[in-house]
Amino acid sequence: MEAILTECAQNSLRHFMYRNAIFMCERLCAEFPSETNSQLLAVCYLQNNQAYSAYHILKGNHMAHSRYLFAQSCFKMDLLNEAEAALCPPNESSAEIPNGAAGHYLLGLIYRCTDRRKSAIYHFNQALSLDPLLWAAYEELCILGAAEEAATVFGDAASLCIQKQHLPHGLGSKSMQASAEDQGLISSRNVGAEDLSPRHLKNIHGNSQRDAAGNYHSAPQPGGTGSQPLNGGPTTLSFYSTPSPMAAASQLSGVAPPPICRNMQINGPNSCATGADSSPRSTVNSTIQAPRRKFVDEGKLRKVSGRLFADSAPRRSIRLATGDSVANTNSNVSTVSGNGTNHSSKYLGGSKIATGSVRPVTGRKGQSWSNENFDEGIKHDGYDDSRNSSTTCSSPSSESRSLDQEGPTSAAGVCLSGSRVAVGASDLLALLRILGEGYRLSCGYRCQDALDVYVKLPQKQYNTGWVLSQVGKAYFEMVDYVEADHAFNLARLASPYSLEGMDVYSTVLYHLKEDMKLSYLAQELISTDRLAPQSWCAMGNCYSLQKDHETALKNFQRAVQLDSRFAYAHTLCGHEYVALEDFENGIKSYQSALRVDTRHYNAWYGLGMVYLRQEKFEFSEHHFRMAFQINPRSSVIMSYLGTALHALKRNKEALEIMEKAIMADKKNPLPLYQKANILVTVENFDGALEVLEELKEYAPRESSVYALMGRIYKRRDMYDKAMLHFGLALDMKPSATDVATIKAAIEKLHVPDEIEDNL
Amino acid sequence: MAESSEGEEEGKLVGGDQQLVVDDDLCEMAKKAAWSVSSCKPGNGVLSLRDDNLDTYWQSDGAQPHLVNIQFQKKVKLQLVVLYVDFKLDESYTPSKISIRAGDGFHNLKEIKAIELVKPAGWVYISLSGNDPRETFVNTFMLQIAILSNHLNGRDTHVRQIKVYGPRPNPIPHQAFQFTSREFITYSTVR
Repeated sequence: MEAILTECAQNSLRHFMYRNAIFMCERLCAEFPSETNSQLLAVCYLQNNQAYSAYHILKGNHMAHSRYLFAQSCFKMDLLNEAEAALCPPNESSAEIPNGAAGHYLLGLIYRCTDRRKSAIYHFNQALSLDPLLWAAYEELCILGAAEEAATVFGDAASLCIQKQHLPHGLGSKSMQASAEDQGLISSRNVGAEDLSPRHLKNIHGNSQRDAAGNYHSAPQPGGTGSQPLNGGPTTLSFYSTPSPMAAASQLSGVAPPPICRNMQINGPNSCATGADSSPRSTVNSTIQAPRRKFVDEGKLRKVSGRLFADSAPRRSIRLATGDSVANTNSNVSTVSGNGTNHSSKYLGGSKIATGSVRPVTGRKGQSWSNENFDEGIKHDGYDDSRNSSTTCSSPSSESRSLDQEGPTSAAGVCLSGSRVAVGASDLLALLRILGEGYRLSCGYRCQDALDVYVKLPQKQYNTGWVLSQVGKAYFEMVDYVEADHAFNLARLASPYSLEGMDVYSTVLYHLKEDMKLSYLAQELISTDRLAPQSWCAMGNCYSLQKDHETALKNFQRAVQLDSRFAYAHTLCGHEYVALEDFENGIKSYQSALRVDTRHYNAWYGLGMVYLRQEKFEFSEHHFRMAFQINPRSSVIMSYLGTALHALKRNKEALEIMEKAIMADKKNPLPLYQKANILVTVENFDGALEVLEELKEYAPRESSVYALMGRIYKRRDMYDKAMLHFGLALDMKPSATDVATIKAAIEKLHVPDEIEDNL
Repeated sequence: MAESSEGEEEGKLVGGDQQLVVDDDLCEMAKKAAWSVSSCKPGNGVLSLRDDNLDTYWQSDGAQPHLVNIQFQKKVKLQLVVLYVDFKLDESYTPSKISIRAGDGFHNLKEIKAIELVKPAGWVYISLSGNDPRETFVNTFMLQIAILSNHLNGRDTHVRQIKVYGPRPNPIPHQAFQFTSREFITYSTVR
């Protein structure tokens, strides 16, 4: 009965019938209380967004996998201390982190949220070394500003690792939103594997032994987190889901204490099968072996009731995956999927590339790392299958990038698959290298470089939502709003339901003063997802553009409520408070933003502006300098830093910075104007006039330029010219205050050397 | 939205707008100011002057002149005072002669504007600017709106809403002039 219940529950989970799953699991746990079963129940609850239930079930459990699930629930409930304690018990500092890469990743997130940067970096790096395809970890490292070059991270070592693991691990995206996708993906992966296995079984009798052997061999493989018992392993179809395939594989091994080490994380264990494959390319084979083994074993396992739970999990997930193409998540996933496709196609051999298996397809669509794994698994399967009948192979998705090598395919034999894995892995890594490098550069605000890197992507990959919105962000940071608008537009066409980066897009439209487009965007986003902070940020920007700061503030506060870890929402709140002249709250908002993300230079800038307005120039200079250190290429920040220095009477330094700002961006008139201001202060009137003449060419309708020139001429006693310029300034229709100032200046033209009240 | 036509020397204001329309470069200055009145009927106090509700009104309850005092925390530049009064609803309670005074405190208020309303019906705009361009704004700590007499010689007065406007501060701090051209504005802030 236990087996049946387990099977039923997993089946329900696979098909997203959570209520059924929960009910069945409860019966299961009541009848056969065991930690494994409670894990399954916890998984059901987590899938159903009831983290609190999972929390209570798993509290106190010590199995590695339980600890991982428990940490997940705590994280979702914001109980970071407990989550940390679960993953990394304070008393046993040498205990293994459960679930390998996924565990490290989760721990890294916890440290990041609690401001322990070094530890966070350490754990993300660990996660990456255990599973080089854990893109989310690399992303986090970039955001923390501590990522190594993509080439090293996604380099040869990674390639070997992948090949060993053969089933790279699923990806936990940062946002919880993605997690669902991930899960789906992972499941798809698993499903794929699962499905194939039966077929495999039929065909691969011979392999089983090898597989089995392989399993054993693989056990020691990757970092052996031997600590995890087989049971613990299974399916955590949790958010940062670990690939079930792995679990599946491990389970399959069932026989062996498998490589479940690191279950989820590293598909490796299984795959690493050193396999006693007899085929020539043994090494390669081993990889292939793994999957096969997996399937085979799975079949065996089925018979072994005890394991069913573990067993079915992956299977279920796989089936689930097959069921529906999860995917279509934009973002990173897309890139991966691309790869995935390649892989599959490769595997299926050129010839047999039938659209076949949904799995691969789903995998692809899923576009997550899981695809990768999934594909790999499928490859094997496919491979075998192709021997018998083409079936699976989803070649579809855009042509694989490096399909070229396909050639051999077919039933050549296990060895081929091995090479395919290698090729697949290297292709994937090549893609990741580009994306990783691009992302790292754009997090370091080296935007032009990032753009150059992204351009190297193949067309298909480039035209995906994630990449295009990264391109848009890069243009935004370079203050090229027109190009940014264009890129974001394409991003929206590519993935109309993606919210990633849409907050930045709304800011771009705000800067361009495109109120129609902005309100349209805001409406669309709200109707797509009312509970996403980005939608409310866009709405707020819309109101702010119309100068309705109070409503804008309300919208931004909603965004903050929806996700308090979304730094930009805090910053925007700060901007609105400042516009309403509520400096205290503005400062508080900016500081909250900085608490979430210390490298959010907009918040540093915001604080600098507040202090500038309050005439606390020392503070202002400090904050602008912090912003400058984070983003040393922004000419706007440089010019404000210069302004602050000027206010502190450090004119020489101010001038230096202004020069740099002018060099950084020729299109930015502000530093030139500020330079003129500083030159006036140091009484270098000729220099100032020269600069202003230049500015006149650039922005002929800017009244402040003429006004300043008028003032300079007055100081120089060239009254006619002064009069002329003041007149011109007035013609440009400045604001009422300026009209008053300028008219006053005209009146006082002939009064010698009066000290002006401004500046 | 024709502004009420202003009389010549005396400053008579006729009519009034139903819609409140002010320039974009003005912003309401008195949100954080301290408002007080010389007298009021219970239930119709000073809050009604600031509640954005045209149905509620302040009703005075004492001798003329009736005073509305607005004290700011620091010196502010003011440009425009807008009142909502309605002869059709309030008849003899409608203010007629209004004097606006400014200064540092109660001890040194000086009249800066005197105006007479003739059957007003809606928002009445009273500009504080002088003729001299240098006098576009009144820079002051305190503003006092004194109602010297009412229509039909009524004793007490009803005022439904008062708003005070001044220039919007330069969004770029520590800057002499505000930017007007697109090129400058685009680069002037980071959001």
